[in-house]
Amino acid sequence: MTTKEKIICVGCPMGCRVTLTISNREVMAVDGNKCKQGEKYVLEEYHNPVRILTTTLLTQGSSQRLLPVRTAKPIPKAKMMSAVRILAKVRVKPPIKIGEVVAAKPSGIEVDVMATADLLS
Amino acid sequence: MKLRDVDVAVIGAGPAGLAAAIKAKEAGASNVIVMERTEQMGGLLHQCVHNGFGLFYFNEDLTGPEYAHRFIEKAIDTGVKALLETMVTEISPDREIKAVSREAGFITFKPKAIVLAMGCREKTRGALGIPGTRPAGIFTAGTAQRLVNIEGYVPGRRVVILGSGDIGMIMARRLTLEGAKVEAVVEILPYTGGLIRNEVQCLHDFDISPLLKHTVTQIHGEQRIEAVTIAQVDESKRPVAGTERIIQCDTLLLSVGLIPENELSLMAGVKIDPITAGPIVDEMRQTSIPGIFAGGNVVHVHDLVDNVSWESELAGQSAARFASGVKAVEGKVRLRAGKNIRYIVPQTISGQSEVTLYMRVSEMEENVHLQIGDILSRGLRVVKPSEMLKIELSSEHLKRIKEGTTEIIINCEKRRRKQ
Repeated sequence: MTTKEKIICVGCPMGCRVTLTISNREVMAVDGNKCKQGEKYVLEEYHNPVRILTTTLLTQGSSQRLLPVRTAKPIPKAKMMSAVRILAKVRVKPPIKIGEVVAAKPSGIEVDVMATADLLS
Repeated sequence: MKLRDVDVAVIGAGPAGLAAAIKAKEAGASNVIVMERTEQMGGLLHQCVHNGFGLFYFNEDLTGPEYAHRFIEKAIDTGVKALLETMVTEISPDREIKAVSREAGFITFKPKAIVLAMGCREKTRGALGIPGTRPAGIFTAGTAQRLVNIEGYVPGRRVVILGSGDIGMIMARRLTLEGAKVEAVVEILPYTGGLIRNEVQCLHDFDISPLLKHTVTQIHGEQRIEAVTIAQVDESKRPVAGTERIIQCDTLLLSVGLIPENELSLMAGVKIDPITAGPIVDEMRQTSIPGIFAGGNVVHVHDLVDNVSWESELAGQSAARFASGVKAVEGKVRLRAGKNIRYIVPQTISGQSEVTLYMRVSEMEENVHLQIGDILSRGLRVVKPSEMLKIELSSEHLKRIKEGTTEIIINCEKRRRKQ
């Protein structure tokens, strides 16, 4: 049995609406993309959609209420919400330098979370 | 550095101002200052904690604060002097700057050249004239972004977003991640108003489908907003009777466009383009007043900070040259917006040196031909008002400009299909 899945390509302003024909988790056909890069993008997006997660952490002992952070690598798209909930419990204290790992591969995220700004006291 | 020795004064230390100041310094100006009304350099980038910055400029996917950090470090390293908590209150046509500062009080001085880099601000409810009550809970998307990402307050639990500009879509994702429910993203146009990447990663990823060809027609609530009425619109963007429905919410965000901030430019007598709402500039980013240059969102609203940086570097470099006494090449050929072109920056070119044209179309169209006078013709698969076009004119193209040309018309027309 085959099913269809639609993915919008974000490679360029065209935003092609691409249709994938799927049989047993395998992509049988790709239609609607107007270039080769589009095919590559939708295949990756179908098999393993990932995103960089960016958020903020609450601070302690700093005049800045929040520290902006990101995952050092992209994480599975499906984990975005649960990852944010995990990070909502983390508190950070100054001094922290931009690029510093503030949470090392937290359980449930499995990717380092790093500061995207300095945190001063 | 004494203020009377300033070669280049840059107004604003956001991405535009920093890029301009660094480049002015690199281009040989000895005394370069940036004047910034807040307490830190970097501008709005600090509250843009999401990624997607620098993909072109640095070939890296950076967050706003990371992008700002690189420019702030470089500004310090190159010896740009920052006057923080300093608000410029006036610029005269002969380049005299008046400002007030927490540290120095009232200051006035006359630099050899000025770069305007004040950026832009958001349109508010007043610009739209939405009927209804005047309750709390209505914010511009950027204000909400500051509340969530800097101040640490989530402005509401049930949110309607009017307009699908990039900041609006980014806030839809941010508020969802912070536990709020985005009840609707309402867009008057038949397509979203931002980058396609944001539509997919900020709306679709969180199962938010924008309500296209809809608008908010009424705001309800006394103390706090309680609901909005939305309705479908017709081809002339007028609400269609009978299509109204009420959406309960406690917050309304507006993401309905940005306006260049040009009060100071007007005081200086700089001529403003009525379409971009920014100064009319030549290819060196000189305004109508010699020695006053401009770059970034104060000139026209960009989609990508990368282009803001590049454009402002040009302004900074030109300001340094002017300060050293090199006469700027005057733009002699006017670029005129023709079919489906809303504006072109720069508005004039000299025709002598290679130049990048930034432009926006009025309407979305597929399979078009972009025709720049008779010097360049390019086929494009799609053009959208929300995606700025960037076209480079090489010396090969410029050679095709005929002697005595005073105007080049740029048209964007539907491609004729071959039979």
